[in-house]
Amino acid sequence: MTASLTISLKRVNKIYHEGEIIAGVVIVDTAADLRHEGLTLTMEGSVNLQISSKNAGIFDAFSNNIRPINLVNTSIELAAAGKMPIGVTEIPFEMPLVGRQSSMSLGLLETYHGVFVNVMYTLKCSMKRSFLNKPLNASCQFFVQYKQLIVSDLLLKQERPPSKPVRCEVSPATLRAGGGAGAARGTVPHFQLYAEIDSTVCALDRPITGKIRVDECSVPIKSIELQLVRVETCGSAEGYSKDATEVQNIQVCEGDVRRARAVPLHLVLPRLFTCPTTATPYFKIEFELNIAVIFEDDYLVTENFPILLLRSK
Amino acid sequence: MPTYYKWCSVKKEKQKHEYPSLEVTNHPLRVEVHNLKHNSNKSLLKSLQKWSSSFEELDPLLRFEQMNLENNSEPTIESDATMNYSKIWSVKRTAILNKYTTGEKLTIISSYLPGGEKISSFSALLRQVSNLNEKVKHRLEQLDDFDESSVRKTMGLSQQEFVTKIHMLDDEIKKAWETEQRVKAFKIAIQCSKLLSDISVMQFYPSKFVLISDVLDNFGKLVYDRLKKKSFGDAAIKLEDIDSGLVPESARETCQNWMFKMASIRELLPRLYMEMSLLKCYVFISKDEIKPAIARLITMIRGIGNPLVAIYIRVYLCKVASALYGKESECYFHDNLKEFLEEYQQIFLPAMAKKFGAQLLTADKYLSLYIPAIDWLLYGTLNTIPCKLTLLDELLQLCDKTENSELLLYCIVSGFDSPNIIKKSSAILDTIKKSAEHMVLLSPILSALGEHLCHADVYRQVSSEALSQTWWKIVSNMKSTANFLQVLEPWIQFACTQLSAQHINMLLRGTIRYMIKCGKPIDDYSSQIQLVVKRMLKSIPDVEELFLMDAFMPLVELVQTSNARTMMAKTVLIVFFERCNSVQIEDHIIIASLMRLCCILHEAINAVTVEDELKISSDLINKYIQTVSYQDDAREQLNFYVECRSAFIKLDSVLKTLVHAVHALANRARPARSRWLSRACAAYCFVTVPSLQCALCRAQLYLLGAHAALLVACVGQAEANLKAFVSLIPDIPLYVQEDGQNKPTHVKVVGLLSNFLSTLLILPDNVDSSSKAYILSGFIKTMERIHWRKTDPLYYTLLLRTLDLLCNLTQEKYIYHIDGVISNDELYGSEEEFIDVLENYATNICQELLVVLKALGDAKETNKQYNLALELFWRIIKRGDLREGSMTSLAINLWVLSQKLQDSNNKFAKTLLSALERDTSEEGRLLFDKLNET
Repeated sequence: MTASLTISLKRVNKIYHEGEIIAGVVIVDTAADLRHEGLTLTMEGSVNLQISSKNAGIFDAFSNNIRPINLVNTSIELAAAGKMPIGVTEIPFEMPLVGRQSSMSLGLLETYHGVFVNVMYTLKCSMKRSFLNKPLNASCQFFVQYKQLIVSDLLLKQERPPSKPVRCEVSPATLRAGGGAGAARGTVPHFQLYAEIDSTVCALDRPITGKIRVDECSVPIKSIELQLVRVETCGSAEGYSKDATEVQNIQVCEGDVRRARAVPLHLVLPRLFTCPTTATPYFKIEFELNIAVIFEDDYLVTENFPILLLRSK
Repeated sequence: MPTYYKWCSVKKEKQKHEYPSLEVTNHPLRVEVHNLKHNSNKSLLKSLQKWSSSFEELDPLLRFEQMNLENNSEPTIESDATMNYSKIWSVKRTAILNKYTTGEKLTIISSYLPGGEKISSFSALLRQVSNLNEKVKHRLEQLDDFDESSVRKTMGLSQQEFVTKIHMLDDEIKKAWETEQRVKAFKIAIQCSKLLSDISVMQFYPSKFVLISDVLDNFGKLVYDRLKKKSFGDAAIKLEDIDSGLVPESARETCQNWMFKMASIRELLPRLYMEMSLLKCYVFISKDEIKPAIARLITMIRGIGNPLVAIYIRVYLCKVASALYGKESECYFHDNLKEFLEEYQQIFLPAMAKKFGAQLLTADKYLSLYIPAIDWLLYGTLNTIPCKLTLLDELLQLCDKTENSELLLYCIVSGFDSPNIIKKSSAILDTIKKSAEHMVLLSPILSALGEHLCHADVYRQVSSEALSQTWWKIVSNMKSTANFLQVLEPWIQFACTQLSAQHINMLLRGTIRYMIKCGKPIDDYSSQIQLVVKRMLKSIPDVEELFLMDAFMPLVELVQTSNARTMMAKTVLIVFFERCNSVQIEDHIIIASLMRLCCILHEAINAVTVEDELKISSDLINKYIQTVSYQDDAREQLNFYVECRSAFIKLDSVLKTLVHAVHALANRARPARSRWLSRACAAYCFVTVPSLQCALCRAQLYLLGAHAALLVACVGQAEANLKAFVSLIPDIPLYVQEDGQNKPTHVKVVGLLSNFLSTLLILPDNVDSSSKAYILSGFIKTMERIHWRKTDPLYYTLLLRTLDLLCNLTQEKYIYHIDGVISNDELYGSEEEFIDVLENYATNICQELLVVLKALGDAKETNKQYNLALELFWRIIKRGDLREGSMTSLAINLWVLSQKLQDSNNKFAKTLLSALERDTSEEGRLLFDKLNET
């Protein structure tokens, strides 16, 4: 006697905004009549924080994991105890996506998969069954996105964030001490780079653009790469840990490019692994861009740009 | 059946031949000779063309390729621009694959191919830990094998193996796609595009690009088709008609997913290639995204440092764009070209020079790798530009300004259309001149320019001269002889069409000087010189003019080895006769030059020369002999023929032609000349004929000689000819070799001998000899000497014909004569003795025929027997004297025999009988009655 339980959402991309109604069906597929003690659907949303092992020392007193922060938790009953007929039964449901209303609440945050911070939303369906049978469970992730521009203190109710271009020139003179991996190796080749990011305030659904130009370089270039880095800060009054990890690294130039020619930068922000720059009392998610120039002898020069990611429609 | 019947011929005194006749002023044969000449000209040309075409036939593999192309192009006849581009691409594609090949070993890196050395870090580690137990090691490696992501490197692949591997990857993508492993397909496609960043075997790179671009196309198509199916089911919707607003959410989501996947590819080159292959899938998101994406890609390619890799990815982008937008995409070609020009100097970076140097590539080979790509970009650009001349101007200025402009210059010259290039030709030449010493592509550029100039139709003489002078200055300093000749070829055509004979001659002299000065064996370049000469002959307006230049023949004879000389002579003669439109050649210089060439041809003939060669050579020489004319100077003409005979003694067919030509000469000159010419001609022929190999030909010519001699009333000569003819008869072979097959000669022999017998009717008997009908008796004796098969139709037909002749010889007045020749009727006046001799012969022949009849009966050849019996019967009633009892009884016996043999379908017999019925003579009636009785 087999029976299966699946959740199917009406929206294909499973992206919902706050205040919307999540609609879908729970599908019960059974080979025989199924007696059950009730079918419930739970919506959960939480932030999971993890302290990196690097900083573990400070938090040794605690466990490595901090208790998850609950963002939303509602449940409804889809069917009272009874009997499911043989075959496929679809039970439609609708559930409003509303954040938890409490003073400590952070509201609904965007779904985000990081290393130390994870924001996840799931729908769980559970069918309780008689004493001897195990309950049937099914779960389904869905994604939350901000409906539109969240009015942060930086921005006033504008439709589109103003572009904030940054320009910089990189040459041996501008290098910070120890900035490059090969700095210890002695002679720094002569070079002159120019890089430009069209805006440090970036919409999540648009690619980050800019350009880079090699004006002069005495040694051949092996590769120029654009690196997207997330900086996750976890902690509270007790202290915090701050870690930068790579999200994505794409090559912009391969080989020794023509001098004095602007090569466009074009970075599509990956879904799930990015979210709007967020700061809460418990954790912070920030993003940075690195432009790395690798010379033929593996000498590395990087330039760092903090960026602000926003959700705009 | 009585065994002996005496033959008696009936004399038909009053019978006059009642053939319609009319008075003519012209000899009918003469006109025909003239016509024949024209015809033979044409047919000779045709036959020559036929021969040469069979030699120039494509090799079978290429032909298949062409058939493929034709098949491919068939359904795309639509004038659609998209189709057009894809068609042109497919042509280019094949050209690239054929041109850029390598014998070097290739390397492929992929995780989806079986075999090959793993380059995963794990196995490297294993190798380091050498004390690991072999067995354990093996097991670990096996485990590793299951791991899909382990990248294997297959080295030392030959080109063919490499191609097979690429096809395998293509199949692998399809297989993975069908088995729902779409991510795996995507990964394979990425790995394929990664292969394009490897330039370790550069000369194969263009071909590699073509192969891999096909794989990527296929992958793009798979994705597109699936998204289309997801959106619209199986409905056939064209790309243009897809409305992104109507695409369902799920398809759009899938498409978006592909795009995100593609955008996160770490390396630049695969990311660009994948985006291009997925470009048309953007329609499922938004149609407006495609064009900005193309524009973005164009600039993003700047990030590719390697110029070779960069230009080919541009080619791919243009190809994808043209497949999407057709005519509209041409602006992208232009944009890409502009980008390329900006990056032009990358090609000449010392680092690149080091790389191709390490691969043992020469600079010109290296540069030629870029040519198909630039051609492609330029091709699209030229279609979009309204004013090509301005673009040309711009580009030429650019060439002037930049260093190393030769590659660009070459592509400009070969890419633009002739009228524009011709307009700018002097400017181009100046640019070339400036840096001629450093150019490695000098000869391709110059020859391309020359080809354009060949198309110039109306051009001012002055600037042509200036052009050719500038050109000569550049070219005469070229170091490589092969290149020099390569450039010379089109330019000599230009000179031939545009410049005066004097100039051409100067160029030729310069060429000879260059060739001698270069100090290399000239024979190495014989084929190239041949091409040059051929080009000249084909392009010069008046082909005879060439022979009048004093430098032409020395150039032709520059090559020394006999093989090369023969080839050269053959080429010159073939093209000359193709081009030469006058029927006759009268100029002595040309005659002498051609004679020289023909002699070269003749010299090359030896025992091992194949038949086709012989045929071509003799056709050419025949043609020469036929066209040479000394007008009214018959002595010169005959001298010429004598000279030819001594020069071309090895060729039968030439001797034949000579004999015919001499006969024609004799005939032509007859009325005006004294008799010496006829005699000389007759003697010439009589002397020439024995040197022929083939007995049949000799016999024919003897007979012809006899005819000619009789025509001029030269009885002795005629007799000599006929005598020779008779003595030749036993030598005539049963079969002759013709077109590589043994053909029986008997039809020819019957014709020939019948002709001979008819001639004998006119020939007066030799009064000095003791026997009457001297030649005829000789012939009959010869016939007896030959051991014929009795049942051979040839044999009894000849006997019947001889019987006919004998009957006619007994007449008082022969049915035809030649003016001035006293035939036997007048000579003997039906003398008793003469008639007796003839009747005697006839009796013998009749006897022999009866023997044949019996033999046929024995051999059960009833059909032949029946026919022969009736033939003989017919002769008896027509020619025999029926008053003689033996004749009548023979006739009756024959009739009875024939009736016995054939009871049905005896049409022949019935016709004969009805003819007999109409016979009014008494004897005829009598015989008819008797026949009816039986």
